[in-house]
Amino acid sequence: MRITESAKLETQQRIVTAARKLFVEKGFDATTTRDLAAEAGIATGTLFNYFPAKEALALELMLEAAAAARLEVAGRDAASGGLAEKLFLLVATEIRHLRPCRGFVKAVLETSLSPFASGEAESPGGRYRREHLQLLERMLREHGAEVAVATSFIALHLYWTLYIGVLAFWAEDDSPNQEETLVALDQATRLFVDWLGSAGSQPSHLPGVVKE
Amino acid sequence: MGLNVSELIEALPADLEPTQSLASDASLQAMLQELAHRPVPVGRFPRLWALGTLQGKIAAAYLAWFLRSSYASAEKKEEALNEAHLKAALKLLGTMGYLRGAIMKLGQVLGAYPDVAPEQFMEVLGRLHFEAPAMHFSLLRENVRNELGDDPEALFADFETEAFAAASLGQVHRARLPESNRAVAVKIQYPNIARTIRQDLENFKTIMFPMRLSGDWDNLREQFTDMVTTLEMETDYEQEAENLRIARLAFAEADEIDVPRVYPERSTRRVLTMDLIEGLHLDDFLATNPSQEVRDRHGRQILLAAMKLSYGSHLLHADPHPGNYLFQRDGRLGYIDFGCCQRYTDQIVAYLEEVEEAMLRSPERLREALIRAGDLTPKQQQDAARLRLMEDWCDWVAEPLRYDGAFDFAADSYLQRGIELYGELVRRRYFRSQPINTWMTRQLLGVRLMLHRLGARVNMKEIHERVSG
Repeated sequence: MRITESAKLETQQRIVTAARKLFVEKGFDATTTRDLAAEAGIATGTLFNYFPAKEALALELMLEAAAAARLEVAGRDAASGGLAEKLFLLVATEIRHLRPCRGFVKAVLETSLSPFASGEAESPGGRYRREHLQLLERMLREHGAEVAVATSFIALHLYWTLYIGVLAFWAEDDSPNQEETLVALDQATRLFVDWLGSAGSQPSHLPGVVKE
Repeated sequence: MGLNVSELIEALPADLEPTQSLASDASLQAMLQELAHRPVPVGRFPRLWALGTLQGKIAAAYLAWFLRSSYASAEKKEEALNEAHLKAALKLLGTMGYLRGAIMKLGQVLGAYPDVAPEQFMEVLGRLHFEAPAMHFSLLRENVRNELGDDPEALFADFETEAFAAASLGQVHRARLPESNRAVAVKIQYPNIARTIRQDLENFKTIMFPMRLSGDWDNLREQFTDMVTTLEMETDYEQEAENLRIARLAFAEADEIDVPRVYPERSTRRVLTMDLIEGLHLDDFLATNPSQEVRDRHGRQILLAAMKLSYGSHLLHADPHPGNYLFQRDGRLGYIDFGCCQRYTDQIVAYLEEVEEAMLRSPERLREALIRAGDLTPKQQQDAARLRLMEDWCDWVAEPLRYDGAFDFAADSYLQRGIELYGELVRRRYFRSQPINTWMTRQLLGVRLMLHRLGARVNMKEIHERVSG
């Protein structure tokens, strides 16, 4: 019997729900794929049809959290604040929504979101990066950042490096409420916007190419 | 002395990187490694380097000159080690972006007056002012959420997104309490700044103190202790809330002194919500060209405030400056900013009472009282010049207390004498043996300085007799 699309989606959702529960209760490292399958009520082999590894599930949870964060950001007053503040708002809101995922962010950064990951557009890591950077590009255009600079490969790569750096910092930040991360993020966003401002004022020798 | 500022700057270490002589100093190596990797917590990237301006370089060069002159007589190998420590200290100083404003001001003064003595330099150093970078509203929102559990828009009505005033290491916003519509001021500290500064000061001490220095080195060490103490006081808003609570109880309605009430359910160690008091700070108030009567009225209030807190609540407002006072339209005084306060112990109160009694009524007992209050060693007790200076200081303090009628605090001669005596006391560190005396000396001068700027004439004797009972 063929499994319908809706059944597949429903199974996928059960797996994600199981992961959300067990990663918090038992911790990411201690949770096995067998545990996940049992919680989701499926065979372990079936689990791999949906998610090739635990890290992929972790990334799925992060994608959900990031999407919720972007909804919250979209609901905020779009008119106020400079570009550095807007970028701060985006990343800080994501980090807040990612809090339940903090225990396994490092594992994901080392795999799907690693700078060495293939980053294919439709891979989960590629999707995470693409969705985030699309929002970034929209913000940059709205703020009138010179288009060529704002959407250049260098600018997006620099930003992504800072973003991943802040996430990595946050994953290991043991200060109260991870307040050091807020400071690091404040610094990083100002740094990026300063660079954008100074790069945009020079005769552009940067390729005006958007790289996915 | 004839210091040439250009030559000073030339003498700054070129690269501020440690030399090979550090190889044997493992703990220093480890610290520098850690410094190299630690994120700089404050400031915008092009200006993170606090020594990037000419004024910054002047201040750093002066520090280097002073320290070098202190170890000039050391052996060659010690000199090399000291030089390495000096470079490390300057490197760390450069990353202290929260001191950038103060370092620039220091450099400005030194650039204009290069002959200022090292002791004066140290005194200014001891009053260095920390400044946090401004928080945009998105950062502030996350910060408030961490501290109070929800967004400021949810906790307050009409929370203004732009700060209306700077605070020690933070900023102040107007808002309203939703339940009463009462106007409040919400003071919020920049995240993690207190911890960062504390760590930096500890690192600075670790780098500097092994240096084999002579002369005024102890002064620098004490200034550091003062800086740390000030930092602890100014960044603990819970302690400030307690100081405000004590201060509010000290005044009656007739005193015309308004101390803001704190709202503890919306306050933490890093967020302080209190009544908003509207008024002018000193400069703006003076620009309105107030009458002598109004100046005198506010002068009475300022003195009454200081005395009631001291005698009644045993609370010392340790760093009185114009930012603490608001001159209100209805003639009342707003008394705000209780971040820098010290409590008198019972023992200190007893000593102070003894000194005051001697000062005003039994001058033959003054020396003895000062020896006890200052906790002087036998050697110090034999130092006639020291005792003479302390007596002269007390004499200066007591002058308006002995005067029948309104004492004219506008007189330059009185204030000038006080500044000179204070300068001598600091230079010779005569009040360091009992730390509270340092704060009190500052307070006594600070209040009189305020009255001088206000141009007030006040019957201090009458107020003192009324308050001290």
